[in-house]
Amino acid sequence: MQALIERIGRSVGGVVGTLFQAGRDAVDLCLKTIIPFMAFVTFVIGLILETGVGDLIANGIKGFASSLGGLMIVCVICAIPILSPLLGPGAVIAQIVGVLIGTEIGRGNIDVSMALPALFAINPQVGCDFVPVGLALGEAEPETVEVGVPAVLTSRMITGPISVVVGYLFALGL
Amino acid sequence: MDALVAGAEAFIQVFRTAADVFVGFTTGIIPIVVVFLTAVNALVKFIGEERVENFAKWASQEGWMYVPVRYTLLAFVAVFMLTNPVCYTFGTFLPEKNKPAFYDAAVSFVHPITGIFPHANGGELFVWLGIAAGVEMVAPDMVTALAVRYLLAGLVVILIRGIVTDIIFSIMWKSRQGGAA
Repeated sequence: MQALIERIGRSVGGVVGTLFQAGRDAVDLCLKTIIPFMAFVTFVIGLILETGVGDLIANGIKGFASSLGGLMIVCVICAIPILSPLLGPGAVIAQIVGVLIGTEIGRGNIDVSMALPALFAINPQVGCDFVPVGLALGEAEPETVEVGVPAVLTSRMITGPISVVVGYLFALGL
Repeated sequence: MDALVAGAEAFIQVFRTAADVFVGFTTGIIPIVVVFLTAVNALVKFIGEERVENFAKWASQEGWMYVPVRYTLLAFVAVFMLTNPVCYTFGTFLPEKNKPAFYDAAVSFVHPITGIFPHANGGELFVWLGIAAGVEMVAPDMVTALAVRYLLAGLVVILIRGIVTDIIFSIMWKSRQGGAA
């Protein structure tokens, strides 16, 4: 009887402890990463909406972001193997451009149907800064890393534009 | 004097608008992300590392019929369960020649997954949220549909990336061996 009580007590304690730790991790991530980035992003949005900057950016982006061809040009540029590792870190560039394009969609300057292809067009450089580390995390041999880095970067030149087309196709009928 | 007041007014208006957007994000995004993160963090711990690793071993086998498993299912599970950047450790289970392609597939999925499962990459939510916030303004009922399509399109894209990177890697690998010999 005592053993049973002990076991129940233990397992309930374990479940509650796990849930509590999960909540702590969640709030931690929110406070340390999500909210700070949100503050920064909302400031950028405020600037775009209230100053003339928005119209300047709108004119610049509009030509590229309102057509499939334009998005593919953006994508190819971001995927150039010399640029892509520079654009990659923390996805900061992709997030800022995402906010810019999102704001223009919100103001009606860019059609909603372009949202999905745009998500891929602004992001062919994802992880290009991180290839050696990512491969090392997968315990790859040094030779694999040596060939793997240019292989991934080169591959993005091909798969970047393809991803925009896939996004465009998936957005049909939305 | 009037010009000064007007200037000050315009200046402060930037921050008022930013603050409004901030409040919108805080009430609209933060609660659901916190609750969701908690639930998934707990789920991942309950399922346990061992079971996830066993699955990874199964999915990492050689052979062409495992290509879709490797570059979609395995990448999905890795990103979902281990999140960015621990997910790349799943490369450990793969044959050496497939590691770059798996990395390419997994890393390309860390943003498409955030539309529905924000816990997987909480630090880089605004690739998706930036654009979603704009869509929310003009067509609020479309946001969820867009998130689902982003996820599905992401799966197709990572499969293509996995296959293409595999091919390019093997070509580069061979030419390197040839050059060395």
